[in-house]
Amino acid sequence: MIKVYIKMFVRSFFLQALWNFERMQNIGFVYILKPFLDKVYLDEKSKQEALMRHIGYFNTHPYMANLLFAIVANLEKGKSENKENFLDISVIKNQMAGPLAAIGDPLFFGSLRPLVACFSILVMLLFMKFLDQNFQEYAIFVPIIFIVGYNVFHIVSRCWLMFIGFKFGQDSFSVISNTKTLMPIIKYAVFIVTAVTLFVYLLIFKSSPISNLFFGIKENDLALYIIAFLFSIIFSRLGVVFLLYSIIIICSLVSYLRI
Amino acid sequence: MTESIFFYALIGSFCSMDITAFGQFMICRPIFCAPIVGYFMGDVNSGLWIGMIVELLWVNAIPMGVIVPVDVSLISILSTFWVCKYFLGVQEAAVFSLVLAIPFAYFYRDMDISGRNFNTKIMHFVEDGIKNQKYWRMYAGIYVGLFLFALRLFLFYLFAMYVGGLIYSGLYLQLSQFIILGLRNAWYLLPIIGFALVIKEFNIFRRLFLKER
Repeated sequence: MIKVYIKMFVRSFFLQALWNFERMQNIGFVYILKPFLDKVYLDEKSKQEALMRHIGYFNTHPYMANLLFAIVANLEKGKSENKENFLDISVIKNQMAGPLAAIGDPLFFGSLRPLVACFSILVMLLFMKFLDQNFQEYAIFVPIIFIVGYNVFHIVSRCWLMFIGFKFGQDSFSVISNTKTLMPIIKYAVFIVTAVTLFVYLLIFKSSPISNLFFGIKENDLALYIIAFLFSIIFSRLGVVFLLYSIIIICSLVSYLRI
Repeated sequence: MTESIFFYALIGSFCSMDITAFGQFMICRPIFCAPIVGYFMGDVNSGLWIGMIVELLWVNAIPMGVIVPVDVSLISILSTFWVCKYFLGVQEAAVFSLVLAIPFAYFYRDMDISGRNFNTKIMHFVEDGIKNQKYWRMYAGIYVGLFLFALRLFLFYLFAMYVGGLIYSGLYLQLSQFIILGLRNAWYLLPIIGFALVIKEFNIFRRLFLKER
């Protein structure tokens, strides 16, 4: 059975390979579950019925799906052994998919990833400050720190979710509900790391070439950064692309007026 | 030139596939893929800086539900490729490459949506297969889905790197002096926008205030 679990784990990375607007991750889910169903359903008819059960709409967070397919595998195993009277596995599956996505998206993509990314940027700025001439040699460690740092959490989480899914079945929710305390901590950490990174950035570039270009006064540097910061906060609702283009246009206009 | 475009288009498509199609190891994130391309092309600094700007600006670009976000790896890889290919180490050119890469990314998003619509047809093909106990269609569906995803990315990267590169280098050489000075200023100001957006997004004071209420 271990081989089947490993197969399922490897296949979980292909969950969204055939992502579509109609039923989203359905084929990916069936693809992951197939080795398990091959094992528990020995007659073709039952196996086909099981596969057809999971061909419907399905969408959740790709990492949290590991928990769900473990729970579903447990339920399918129970059904194949006729141990329990099941209402409808696909209904249970879809009822769980939404809440799991609601946990996974803000936890992994909305908090953990920005945290590791901001930390990598902080490391990059510290390298710039302290390595100076040797920065080019060590710069490649920044993306490596990001990818290793993130994937340690990512891979461990996927393994853990799959493990508790198989171990606790539908009771897994009580286990993962503990992660809700983790989310605000990560969000606070992102804020603090970003603030520190911004501080280090200002320390390094307080006398950037901007001071020579904008009115030629060095003391204006910090004021300029503050203006850009406030401008971004105020107009952030208009979108990233608007902010990026408007800053470039404003910079060009200022340069033009000075010329 | 042609060989290198093929190589970097391959790297680009591999990184961009990570957004939805395979893995989600975050090799698609600008802070990773831009410096890697920069490293191969001999200017890791520009790659890191572009990666930092794009990462901070699009920190919220999450493929959630039916939302197809703009491909941030495409923006960062194209920018890094163009600047390293045509104007190695020139900061102003790096900012200009960002300006030009964004429309390409939005154009690709429309292509991606069409591709995902086509996946629905493959999905129905797989469904019919399961109904008739032709389980090989499931594997075929997954691999064809992956292949088409990679193919459209690869072709788009080829097109954008070559045609976009010609447009980029041609346009940059025509820019006025004051625009180039403006681009150099923007090089230092763009990360500030990024920091502002992240701080606004994760504003702990707002959270504390809301909790109190």
